[in-house]
Amino acid sequence: MSEQALKPAFLGGPWMKENVFLGMSFRAYAKSLLTPANAVAAAILLAGIPTMVFRFWKGLGAATNLSQTNPWGIWVAFDVVCGVALAAGGYTVACAVYIFGQKAYRPILRPAILTGFLGYALVLFGLIVDLGQPWRLPYQFFLTPGTTAVMYEVGWCVFLYLMVLGLEFAPAALEWLGLVKVRRLLGSLTIGIIVLGVTLSTLHQSSLGAFFLMTPGKLHPLWYSPFLPIFFFVSSISAGIGMVIVESSLSHRAFHDQLDPQAPVDLDKITLGLAKGGAVVLFAYFFIRLQGLVGSGRFDLLATGWGAWYLLEILGFILLPSLLFAFAARRQSAKLARVAGLLTVLGVVLNRFNVSLIAFNWNVQDRYFPSVGEVVTSLTIVTIGVLIFRWIVNRMPVVHEHPDWRGAH
Amino acid sequence: MNEHSLLSPYTAKALEYGLAIFYLLLFVPFWRFVQGETPVHAFGFGWFQVPNGVHLHAGHAWARPEGGTVEVGLDDFAHKLVGPLDELLLPPIGAPVRQGQKAFSLMAGGQQLDVLSPIDGHVVAVNEAARAHPEGVLRDPYGAGWLMKVEPRWLTGNLKNLFTGEGARRFLDAAAGKLAQRLTPQLGVVLQDGGTPVHGIARALDPDHWDELARRFLGGK
Amino acid sequence: MNLNRRSLFKIAAAAGTAGLAGAAATSRASVLPASKDARGVLVDTTRCVGCRGCEAACSEANALLGPEKPGDDAVFASRRTTSPTAYTVVQKGTRKSAAGDDRYAKTQCMHCVTPACASGCVVKALEKTPEGPVVYHTDRCLGCRYCMIVCPFGVPKYEFSSATPLVKKCTFCAERQRNGLAPACTEVCPSGALKFGKRADLLEEARTRIYTNPDAYVHKIYGEDEAGGTSWLYISDVPFESLALPSGIEKKSYPELAEGALSAVPFVITLWPPLLMGMYTFSKRRDEVAAAEGNDRQEEGHV
Repeated sequence: MSEQALKPAFLGGPWMKENVFLGMSFRAYAKSLLTPANAVAAAILLAGIPTMVFRFWKGLGAATNLSQTNPWGIWVAFDVVCGVALAAGGYTVACAVYIFGQKAYRPILRPAILTGFLGYALVLFGLIVDLGQPWRLPYQFFLTPGTTAVMYEVGWCVFLYLMVLGLEFAPAALEWLGLVKVRRLLGSLTIGIIVLGVTLSTLHQSSLGAFFLMTPGKLHPLWYSPFLPIFFFVSSISAGIGMVIVESSLSHRAFHDQLDPQAPVDLDKITLGLAKGGAVVLFAYFFIRLQGLVGSGRFDLLATGWGAWYLLEILGFILLPSLLFAFAARRQSAKLARVAGLLTVLGVVLNRFNVSLIAFNWNVQDRYFPSVGEVVTSLTIVTIGVLIFRWIVNRMPVVHEHPDWRGAH
Repeated sequence: MNEHSLLSPYTAKALEYGLAIFYLLLFVPFWRFVQGETPVHAFGFGWFQVPNGVHLHAGHAWARPEGGTVEVGLDDFAHKLVGPLDELLLPPIGAPVRQGQKAFSLMAGGQQLDVLSPIDGHVVAVNEAARAHPEGVLRDPYGAGWLMKVEPRWLTGNLKNLFTGEGARRFLDAAAGKLAQRLTPQLGVVLQDGGTPVHGIARALDPDHWDELARRFLGGK
Repeated sequence: MNLNRRSLFKIAAAAGTAGLAGAAATSRASVLPASKDARGVLVDTTRCVGCRGCEAACSEANALLGPEKPGDDAVFASRRTTSPTAYTVVQKGTRKSAAGDDRYAKTQCMHCVTPACASGCVVKALEKTPEGPVVYHTDRCLGCRYCMIVCPFGVPKYEFSSATPLVKKCTFCAERQRNGLAPACTEVCPSGALKFGKRADLLEEARTRIYTNPDAYVHKIYGEDEAGGTSWLYISDVPFESLALPSGIEKKSYPELAEGALSAVPFVITLWPPLLMGMYTFSKRRDEVAAAEGNDRQEEGHV
């Protein structure tokens, strides 16, 4: 590396044009933003941001269908509970690459970590929208920490893990900014950061399941189990694998021009490797769910409508994707693996919805259905995530490696 | 929930253990199934290309039904195996061809290599451009590099004996695997550096007896 | 032999939680202690006449809007629930007594001995006091509404219509109790249906009433061990379900349900890093060996 490269690159004149406006003049760049996809995103934001303002101005009751019987809606079930599970790709791939030494997955590591980082940031965002008085969020860290609460542990883990993910992604940002020394320092800390991240993820992924340990009787017996934390942890691994497969296939298509022609990535091969992992994790997950059923002893409930819904979840969205992954690995069909990946992601979303919303309060009259405002807000949060993801991938070395930093930690 | 449970504690615990052991018994074959993919050796998946809609013969000629006739050519693997062609010896129009029997020949490196026909029928056209510039065929082996058109006799029956889609890719991977067994470390480095196999693998592998190797593959063995 | 299925369950759950943490269920770190002197109220529903005087007294003591339609029995026609502006409501039972009288039950926060809401509150906005009341600190609550999720009795209510909302529920007149007064509702009850005192004494009292008049009562004290025990205790001559008191509540402390999972946390923090570092070292070593072997082979010029 030349001496010149040691000087922060973003202080240089053409850096802004090259790295922020993608080599275009500001006018040309602004013009390039006028695309149909951006129009859809803008429409969602135009509807969503006023909805959020309305929610803080008039209160939760005016913007949502929440009630005294159903105090949690999709802002918790989707934005927080699903959000954390779907952001599990970061720790799953980081663990595979750094801890298990599966270097073949390096090309998808940074997109996975970026997805995780943005995912957790949006979980926090969703939480702020949902909390009655979010400005009191810091109270749990000092002032009045409720140490006995499951949420206390989750709060700390998510807060720390967000910082860990920031550090895990920082190399890409630092390479972009050309901050060589800090980048090198961070490289030497990689393993420690990864170990911390995996530990924190184990804790809070499982603790999200522990949220519902105190709700026997409210959560349908087919879903309630003392093993909920284990179910949530194991399914977060499958969610991570599924998300990485889906996300990498989408972004390889969307960011095709970002791929490095000098270092072609065999995404099919990576996908098939992930499919093997997905097959085994889902297979084991299916059987521990069955252990939960045996534990509850409520085979009689399988004959009810809830039983059919439960069987749909564990057969159609756990066992089926497991077998599809297995066939995909066997037949070397990346296409089938992507179908199974999508099914896995949907299955985890279904499970989190079942536990926190659908099979929760199953025995009360007053059932919850989200309001338009709630749906629009959740959609807005996802849109913000996609926009930031795209902005970063188009600029920083995410789907390709920075030429100066090839193969570096 | 205790009062609702249908099982005695002894039965319930026995069932939990039974389920766990049943799982272990299933896990062994499941693991073997998942890990037991088609062998892919030094030539990774995708080294040799074959598009959808193309049917491969074991002798590395391909057939693609187009309207009433069938285009015939030489696949990516055979081209890369043999290397630059000096001359194409294509049959005259009207000549009969039979699946698994000699259809046309290649001249390369002073050797004549016969290629087997993928289908039954008679020749209705040959690619004059390819005949004039045989060295350029590799650039598009499945498109502009077609070699002849055949009016098929019983296409449906013929196609059953050919590889297509995933099957074709697996077939090429298997061929790559066979080739890889003969690979020396030095050659392996050369090949992988380039990202794709060198043009003329057979000659690179065994300069003295490369034609025997090529004949074995083109003979469908 | 009558092996308890739940206890087998608990051991299995604790052993498995987050993969390890063996005897976790024995740790009590997350369960708040119960005091012997804690106060309670005994509700004898055979004495309640449904006058709703307690509702009015509650509204006055807590400076709430008065009860809806005071003195009008028409309110009993539909099922009533507590709300952000009514911390207690009297329900009319669906069953009449043997003599044909209507039965009523006052509902409000049960003030559990080991409350799920307080143990699950991330900012200690809900706290169990040794005197009995589960109190709420308005200046701490961040509005996550987890207390509403976990309360088996569905007590905490939320001000969904406010921009700075708070949780609302019966306070057990903690302020009055501190000043040596009885809760407002118990003070005004004209029929003696509500008796305020030490929970331990009230349990004795309830048993005495049942045993001295065994035909007049269902032989059960609701609240004795529901959710691990509640400060408010009910006795009745009609089934408790008919009085809208929820059935199917676990007979154990709710915080204990999350106990196994929470006590696994320090174990994971302790054991995961060495385990992961071990695997990292192993895979690194494997790569180094493979690289060294690869070099050897090239140097020796093997085919």
